[in-house]
Amino acid sequence: MLQQRMKRSWGLWLTIVVVIVGLIGVGLTRKNAAWYQQTVAQVTKVQAIQHTATTDEFQNKDVDASQWVTIKVLNHQHQGRTYRIKNSYTKSGAMDQAYRVGDQVFVRIPKSASRAVTIQGLKRDTALAFVAWLALALLLLIMRFSGLMALLSVTLNAVLFYGAIQIDLMTNGGHLYTLFGGLAIIFAVLTLWLVLGFSRQMLVTLGATVAGTGLAVIISLIVFAVTKERGVTYEAMQYVTQVPRPLFLVETVLGSLGAVMDESTDIVASLFQLREERPDVTANQIFKSGLTIGRSIMGPLINVLFLIFMADTFAMTLLYLRNGNNWGYTFSMNMSLGMVQSLISGIGIVLAIPVASWLASRLMPRKAAQA
Amino acid sequence: MSTISVLGLVLFALMTLIGGKTGATAFLSLIFNFGLLFLAVVLISWGFPAMGVSLVIGTIILAFTIFFGEENELAAKTAYIAALIVMVGLILVIFPVEHWIMAQGFSLEDSEDLEGMSLTIGVSFVGVAVTEAILSTLGAIAEASIAIAAGLSEIIAQHPKVMTKRLYLDGISIGKQIIGTTFNTLFFGFFGGFLALFIWFSGLHYSFGSVINNKIFVAEVLMVLFALIGVILTVPVTTWVMTLTHRQSMKHPD
Repeated sequence: MLQQRMKRSWGLWLTIVVVIVGLIGVGLTRKNAAWYQQTVAQVTKVQAIQHTATTDEFQNKDVDASQWVTIKVLNHQHQGRTYRIKNSYTKSGAMDQAYRVGDQVFVRIPKSASRAVTIQGLKRDTALAFVAWLALALLLLIMRFSGLMALLSVTLNAVLFYGAIQIDLMTNGGHLYTLFGGLAIIFAVLTLWLVLGFSRQMLVTLGATVAGTGLAVIISLIVFAVTKERGVTYEAMQYVTQVPRPLFLVETVLGSLGAVMDESTDIVASLFQLREERPDVTANQIFKSGLTIGRSIMGPLINVLFLIFMADTFAMTLLYLRNGNNWGYTFSMNMSLGMVQSLISGIGIVLAIPVASWLASRLMPRKAAQA
Repeated sequence: MSTISVLGLVLFALMTLIGGKTGATAFLSLIFNFGLLFLAVVLISWGFPAMGVSLVIGTIILAFTIFFGEENELAAKTAYIAALIVMVGLILVIFPVEHWIMAQGFSLEDSEDLEGMSLTIGVSFVGVAVTEAILSTLGAIAEASIAIAAGLSEIIAQHPKVMTKRLYLDGISIGKQIIGTTFNTLFFGFFGGFLALFIWFSGLHYSFGSVINNKIFVAEVLMVLFALIGVILTVPVTTWVMTLTHRQSMKHPD
């Protein structure tokens, strides 16, 4: 009892230390200019120059504005010098922004003095670190150890993800399917191993995850072949540097993997629990309860992915609408890929339910039944 | 027929086959949510303020997702109230952060897609970024609040006299079980979809410093973090709402 209490208070102290150290870390990002290769400067003074109302060819009313921005360089050879730069921006701020006193920015200082110093963009690391700190602090304060494990799994996955991208680049995208298909399986094994440990339950969950996702891909490829991929606008894919179609399929599989794992874990865990509580339950009953559990999870889960995939397209969709495009064209250029992704993921999420229930009902240890 | 409609039909058939009536209603909520999302963009493009639109549309999306997916009335009501509280709390974080970090609109990487477009459309893109962030977190919040409310209402059904303090501990313990897998859903959901961008960053040798200050990257990571914060907050908030409802029903047994 005493030992347990000491352990608990130790955990609390550790959490508090991590939270405070983290906050100091956030503060330090204001002073980390020396770590950057780019020249970093801080805005010390801004002065508005002018505002002009504008109207574009689609009757959109906006405001063009400009300001004098005085900056003081924080690092490298020009450290300590100040410059006055003219910054033009629009009120809507699609690609530009007004700067405020205290902002840190990246600047480009050309070698020849006759060419103007330009601001290249805002330094966003402090704000990003702050939000990351907020998430971490809440996680540790409310979840303690479980939070740490969740974090560890995400970190390991991120490292693997990075490694796979490096391999993909080295092979020039030639083995995309093998590489990321393999990666998806490694992701699943690693994540489930961290959550469940190496056990029969983990193997059943893994089987359900892989089979559910695999079946969804097969069904989608059949649908693709039958409909000749009509309305799937690969050309609208963003940031593409390799062949878009395989990239899209791989993105879809990776995107749905977490959700399918999430669901399979829930179903299989509940079924193993059920077996423990009522050792006399039959395989058929287990299968049926699995379906019942899955039924209530699948709707919200499909919605999670759907909202994530679609929200990303908002800014571009808006721009299309305001540039005089009709709803149909706007949808197909911006939202159709996200829609296809959501639907394929949805199919995977639904299929994982019977697969997980069936695997659990057949592969559960039978000790209790024999005794 | 187009690929989207056939995939949609397949999904509908599977959901009805496996989920019965619940499955069919869940599919319906998906269609409604799509309609609401599109409505949100259209409303903003007509000049309605992004903040107001996200609040109204967010409230409706949460209602559709929660009430169409959960049959237990106590669980659904509790989950909805909790999700609304978390959404408002999250807006109070998202709004100032988006104005501080200015990761709105488009970046140089988008140049090719922007060719020939007028960017001066008179809509605040910071507002749009706030809307994007709020709407993308709603699914995760709804899912977590349903899971916890359903678990707790099950406990109440089995032990109607359970103590409030005990209920609170149970809620946190359910939260601990779901947090790990929910993290993975969010992580893969967001980053799986951005494989192309990460290949771009690596292929063009962006330095670590340029990546963590890049507009698109920052906007994306922010959405993951907001969703995480939302899910973490959902755990104690849902539990708290449930204990309040429980205490009230113990005082006035009907």
